[in-house]
Amino acid sequence: MRHLLRILGVTAVVLVVASASASAATATQNVTATATVAARATLTLSAATLTFADANPDTTPSIAATEGAITVTAKGRTSTGGSITLTTVSADDFKSGTDVILASALTWTASGAGYAAGTMNKATAQSVGSWTGPGNNAGQLTFALANSWSYATGSYTMAVTYTLTAP
Amino acid sequence: MRVRAATVTVLAAVLAAALDAGAASQAQTVTGTAVIGAIAKLNLSTSSITFPDADPDTVPTIAPSQGAITITAKARASLGATVTLTVQAADDFRSGTATIPAASLTWSATGAGFVGGTMNKAAAQTVASWTDSGNRTGTQSYVFQNSWNYAAGTYSLTLTYTLAAP
Repeated sequence: MRHLLRILGVTAVVLVVASASASAATATQNVTATATVAARATLTLSAATLTFADANPDTTPSIAATEGAITVTAKGRTSTGGSITLTTVSADDFKSGTDVILASALTWTASGAGYAAGTMNKATAQSVGSWTGPGNNAGQLTFALANSWSYATGSYTMAVTYTLTAP
Repeated sequence: MRVRAATVTVLAAVLAAALDAGAASQAQTVTGTAVIGAIAKLNLSTSSITFPDADPDTVPTIAPSQGAITITAKARASLGATVTLTVQAADDFRSGTATIPAASLTWSATGAGFVGGTMNKAAAQTVASWTDSGNRTGTQSYVFQNSWNYAAGTYSLTLTYTLAAP
């Protein structure tokens, strides 16, 4: 005889319980930032020409430039403790054809931290300013031309070069 | 034989009826438990940013060569909790004994929850914050303040980002 079998059904109830952990979580990441700072020098002069008008040597023994004082801005980046220098040298003496007025007839006074007075020279660069470490240095140079009855008449010119160095 | 076949059929019917009258069901309960823990996962598109040298007169602020950083912050937190992303510098920028303040580094940001800021070596600064769990993405664009007052050198600085999911 065949036995008839019946499978009894079983009902299952599944309860799902979700719970959150009470502990906090953190995550960290590092980033390396790198900045390159190179030695650099920028020089700005308020005037590219200086003009000394004719004058009576008896009444005007020293002639100021018509343009007035030159404002100088010397910006330099160098190592900590490094020396930044500003110098000037003339290409030659004042010349009008074959007539000459010595470069040293031109002198200047200075104002501003690190700036110094001096006398123009065509053979050797003369110090105008010097500073330690990087910075933005502003000052003024006031030029004067020594007047003299010994000068031959003419229109004299002379080129002057300024050099800012930030090693 | 006919008699035998008829007997089997009846017996089968009686047995089926008996089974139907005695049917029963049984219920069982199973309890399932799922633990959802707090998780924080942070991904940055780069682990380094580089600021090249530039003339302070013409380039007063310098952007990094790598461009903006893409940030992906994934966090699971308790309901209503605040998820935060902060950043802090380990020190100032250093090149030997020369330093540039960490505050010379600033950033702007895009993406919901992200904010701009200024780097700080003493206190963590907020980069972003959100409420509840989620997967958030944004960008951070740094700039470095240029200056004639910086000594020449190659400076480095370590930034630590922290994503916190309470």
